Amino acid sequence: MKIIVNGNTHELNRMASLDDLLKQLGANPEAVALMVNDQVIPRTERAGMVLKEGDRLEVLSFMGGG
Amino acid sequence: MKTNDKLILGGQEFESRLLVGTGKFSSIEVMLAAIKASGAQLVTVALRRFNRERPSDDLLGPLVKLGITLVPNTSGARNAAEAVRAAMLGRELSGSRFVKVEIHPNPHHLMPDPIETYEASRQLAQEGFIVLPYMPADPVLAKRLEDVGCAAVMPLGSAIGSGHGLSTAEMVKLIIADSGIPVIVDAGIRSPSEAAASMEMGCSAVLVNSAIAAAGDPVGMASAFSWAVKAGAAARLAGLMAQSGHAVATSPLTSFLTGDHA
Amino acid sequence: MISELPTELAPSPWLLKARAASELDVRRALTSSAPTEAEFAALISPAADGLLEEMAQRAKHLTENHFGRTISIYAPLYLSDYCPGGCAYCGFAADRSQPRSRLSRDEMLSEFVALKAMGFEEVLLLTGERSPQADFEYLRDAVAEAAKHFAAITVEAFPMTTDEYRELAAAGCVGVTLYQETYEPIQYQALHRWGPKRDYANRLDAPSRVLEAGMRYVGLGALLGISDPMFDTLALYRHARALRRKFWQSGVTISFPRVCPQEGGFQPPFLVDERLLARIIFAFRICMPDIPLVVSTRENAKFRDGIAGVGVSKMSIASRTTVGGYRAPTSSPDGQFQINDNRDIETFFTALRDKGLEPVFKNWDSVYSLHKDDT
Repeated sequence: MKIIVNGNTHELNRMASLDDLLKQLGANPEAVALMVNDQVIPRTERAGMVLKEGDRLEVLSFMGGG
Repeated sequence: MKTNDKLILGGQEFESRLLVGTGKFSSIEVMLAAIKASGAQLVTVALRRFNRERPSDDLLGPLVKLGITLVPNTSGARNAAEAVRAAMLGRELSGSRFVKVEIHPNPHHLMPDPIETYEASRQLAQEGFIVLPYMPADPVLAKRLEDVGCAAVMPLGSAIGSGHGLSTAEMVKLIIADSGIPVIVDAGIRSPSEAAASMEMGCSAVLVNSAIAAAGDPVGMASAFSWAVKAGAAARLAGLMAQSGHAVATSPLTSFLTGDHA
Repeated sequence: MISELPTELAPSPWLLKARAASELDVRRALTSSAPTEAEFAALISPAADGLLEEMAQRAKHLTENHFGRTISIYAPLYLSDYCPGGCAYCGFAADRSQPRSRLSRDEMLSEFVALKAMGFEEVLLLTGERSPQADFEYLRDAVAEAAKHFAAITVEAFPMTTDEYRELAAAGCVGVTLYQETYEPIQYQALHRWGPKRDYANRLDAPSRVLEAGMRYVGLGALLGISDPMFDTLALYRHARALRRKFWQSGVTISFPRVCPQEGGFQPPFLVDERLLARIIFAFRICMPDIPLVVSTRENAKFRDGIAGVGVSKMSIASRTTVGGYRAPTSSPDGQFQINDNRDIETFFTALRDKGLEPVFKNWDSVYSLHKDDT
């Protein structure tokens, strides 16, 4: 199914978990924060999360800032 | 508001009164070396989209290794709702309750929005965050933010990146005089002497970013700021010498007190 | 029932400095750009006496900056001198044989008319401690009547509840003055021999209640000389600072009553001479540049003329401290209510103008207050 990650279209296996997706993206699950359709998804809720076609994800990490 | 030794924010104690931002550095290596040299224990970071092309830009691991308390900022948020969401994400990642509320809708001068900042701070304080709001140097706004539960106020010295120093000094003094919480000058500090001056004035701490990141030798400059903040704090405790007074006016004001003055 | 001064107000960390500061400490304090307690303590210390002229120069400069070259003028009006209290220093204590009176509504009205004709726009209404003859309702009704005549009504009476202060504000009162007399708890107990005024904590908390009730100003003060003036002055400074921090939307004013010997036999245990009084006033002006500082007609003309605009920004004149004294002036009483500046308004104003100071009757318009009835 197609989802949108950080503004880009991404093809995802329906059976994939969020952590699988993050690894696909090359992200360390411990070092990113996640929003799905504008909702903050805490780490504790990732395991139970089921993604749907068209979901919009934001994967965020800490960068330099003042 | 100053104690004799440690800076206390949100019930936590810190030795260092220099806070450092992580933006604008040429490389992560330089940034980490500068943070070490600064002795800072509180370091601000921003949330950005994870970039698979540059995974090593991620700061979380390296900073955690330094034993630093991360202060996620909400930079990028244009209103309170976005700032609150950014704070939630930041807390998720950092594991700390600290947040720097930073809402600047204008991308040029980056001045903080007082109304959105107040609203975001109010909500986040209620959610249990240790809120450090970046704000215009306004004494009334400072009390409003204190009233809604901020752990400190962070009045700007001058516009972010401008290097115009403590142009708001008189306002900051008014804020310090009536504040029941620490006052941390943030933004616009260009030189270590300005940081020292802020501490001598009574600030509890100083936050510096551009002045270190854009210095010729950021690591050297970070050390300099570290010494300057300590120097200013120590000077305040030690009591500056008297300035030479103006010449006494020819007609004395206290002659009514001479003679029989029971 | 000995109470304790809360830590927030306790002057003990600074008492030593206030007693033993050096001339160097005073010079440092005098030129500090952001003076705090340490500087205040040095400025009231005995060593500051040698730098009084320099302090006066700084005080004048700051008074001009924050208040212009003006003096705010008000009139005290004693509504009643009934008092069930037992203050050892006061000739109106219940065990003293002063004849008592209180103004009826008609008499009050005549007083208001007389004062207004003299030009006053701010009156301070006074009573003794809460008594059946002059209780809260009496005071509130007096405020309501006065509010029809004057731009600003303030009150100096007895500690009230927050709700009572709210009612007073609704009736048109914009400020309440309440002197702690002394912040030193043991001396406080010794001097307030009986009655509700013995409740130290209640009195100490009352200024907070005034501001809690939304009143614009609270007036603080200590009766200088009934305890160690260093202690009381420092505690007063801390009290003002604490109130300003908490009630940042309101104002604080400070007055400087000095205790006088009273014919009931009370001798002040501490001497506060004019130089010390001036020093205290200058110290407040230097460390709290934007706070109104008030001197009444308890002080003599020479002192008042000297200190006007040099620290002091607000003064009373043509005072009558007897009940009914404005319509039918009688001889002035002794003791704590002694008047030592008996000049009339014009004479006093001429003296102020000779110094380059303009007397101002009104700088607050009640039309801005939402509490007033529009009828």
